[in-house]
Amino acid sequence: MSDLPPDEPAIQFDHVRFRLDGRDLLTDFCLEIHRGETLVLLGRSGSGKTTILRLINGLILPSGGVVRVEGRATTGWDTVRLRRRIGYVIQEGGLFPHFTIERNVGLIPRLEGWPPERVHRRVQEMLELVGLNPEEFRNRYPHQISGGQRQRVGVARALAADPPFLLLDEPFGALDPLTRSETQRQFLSLRQRVRKTMVFVTHDVTEALLLASRIALIEAGRSAGIYSPAEFLDSIEGPAREYADVVRANGKILGWPQ
Amino acid sequence: MSVLEYFVRHRQEILELSVQHLWLVGASMLIAVVAGVPLGILVSRRPRLDKLILGSANILETIPSLALFGFLLPAPWLGARADRLAITALALYALLPIIRNTYAGITGVDPAVREAARGMGMTGRQMLFQVELPLASGVIIAGVRIATVLTVGIATIAAAIGAGGLGEFIFRGLAMVDNRVILAGAVPAAVMALVADIFFGALERRLRHSHV
Repeated sequence: MSDLPPDEPAIQFDHVRFRLDGRDLLTDFCLEIHRGETLVLLGRSGSGKTTILRLINGLILPSGGVVRVEGRATTGWDTVRLRRRIGYVIQEGGLFPHFTIERNVGLIPRLEGWPPERVHRRVQEMLELVGLNPEEFRNRYPHQISGGQRQRVGVARALAADPPFLLLDEPFGALDPLTRSETQRQFLSLRQRVRKTMVFVTHDVTEALLLASRIALIEAGRSAGIYSPAEFLDSIEGPAREYADVVRANGKILGWPQ
Repeated sequence: MSVLEYFVRHRQEILELSVQHLWLVGASMLIAVVAGVPLGILVSRRPRLDKLILGSANILETIPSLALFGFLLPAPWLGARADRLAITALALYALLPIIRNTYAGITGVDPAVREAARGMGMTGRQMLFQVELPLASGVIIAGVRIATVLTVGIATIAAAIGAGGLGEFIFRGLAMVDNRVILAGAVPAAVMALVADIFFGALERRLRHSHV
C-alpha cells in the first residue's frame, strides 16, 4: 500500500492553525491518526470538526503548522492525487443528481482511466458491499432512492477506487433514527471487510461510542482529549464528562441499570 | 384587399424576409452563446469580474436598439455591411441574459455536490464539464430562450439600417399608414418568437427534469 514505516502515523496534525476571515477555526491542533483505525471527531457544531477533515484532503491548507498524510505535508501533494487516495463521504452523500447510481459509484475509477468493464464489475461489487442489489439500483437516479440508500451509495462511491483513507462528515446526520441505526450497523459490518483508515465526524455521542476505535473530542478549535470508547464513557472528569453524563442521565431516565 | 389576401399576394416576399430575419437571429444567437457561456463561466470563477462583465452587459442592454445600430455604423469592418452590423448589435443584446443565466446556473449548483466533486479529486475541468455545466444546462437554456425571443423582436429594427428582415414590412407599413403591411412583418415575427419560446421551453424542462 505504501512504504510508510509501520509506526509512523497515517495522518498527522502538527501544531496546526487554520484562520478564516480573521477568526481562528483551529488553534495549535495536534493529532495523530493510526493506520487502520476509525477515529471519531466528536464535538459541538462549529467546533472545527469539518475543518479538520478538509485539511486532510487538501480542500483547505493550514494557515500555520503542517498536516501530513502518509508522512508528506498536504502542501507538498498534488491535490488531485491526494484526494483520489482519500474517499470522501458527506451528509446525504453529495451524489451527482444527473448521474445514475452506476455512474456515481463508478466516477473515480472512470476518472482514473479503468476500462469500462472493470468499472462495471467494480460498481457491482461496491453496491453489493453496501447491501444494495445492483440490478435494482444501478440505473436509478439519486432522487429515486431513499435517504438511507443515498448514504450507502455515497459510501460505495467513496470506496470504489479502493483508497487507503476514508473521511466521513456526519454521513448519517440526516437519517431518521431507525434508518440511522441500520446504516450504522451496516457500516460496522462493512468495516470488518474493508480495512481503511477512517476519520468520522459526528456530534452524536452514541454514534461515536458505537463506531470509534478512538474518540477525539474537539472543543472550540482545539483537541480536548483522546479516549477509547470505554475510557470516554467512564469519564468522571474533564471535557468528556459532560458527554458521558448525558449518556448516563439518558440511561437513568429510561430506567436502565446503571 | 383584406389582410389575408395581402399575405397571399406577398407570400414570396414574406418568405424571403422571414428567411433573412431567421439568419439575423440565428447568427447573432450563435455568437451570443459562443461568447456568453464562457463569459458566464469566467464570472463564476472570478467573482471580482462580475461587476465589470455583468455591468457592461447591463449597460449595453439599456442602450436603445436604434441608437446601438447607429453607434456601430462608423465602426470600420462592421459598418461595411448592414447585416454584419445588425448581427453584432443583436448579439450584444443577447449577451446579458446568457451570461447572467450561465453564472446563476453554475453558482446555483448544490454546494454539497461541489464539495464532494472537489473532495474526491475531480480537476477543475472535470468539474466544469461533468458536473457544473450539465447541472446548469436548464438555467442556461432558459437564458437562451429569453435572449432569442428578445432578439426576434429587436431584429425588426435592423431594417432601419438596411439589414432587411421582417422589419422591412413594419417600416414600410408605418410609412404607408397601412396596417396590412405592418402585419405582414409583425405576424411572422410573432410566430417566430412563439416557436422559439415553445422549443426552448420544452428543452429547458427536459434538462431540468432529467435530474430533479
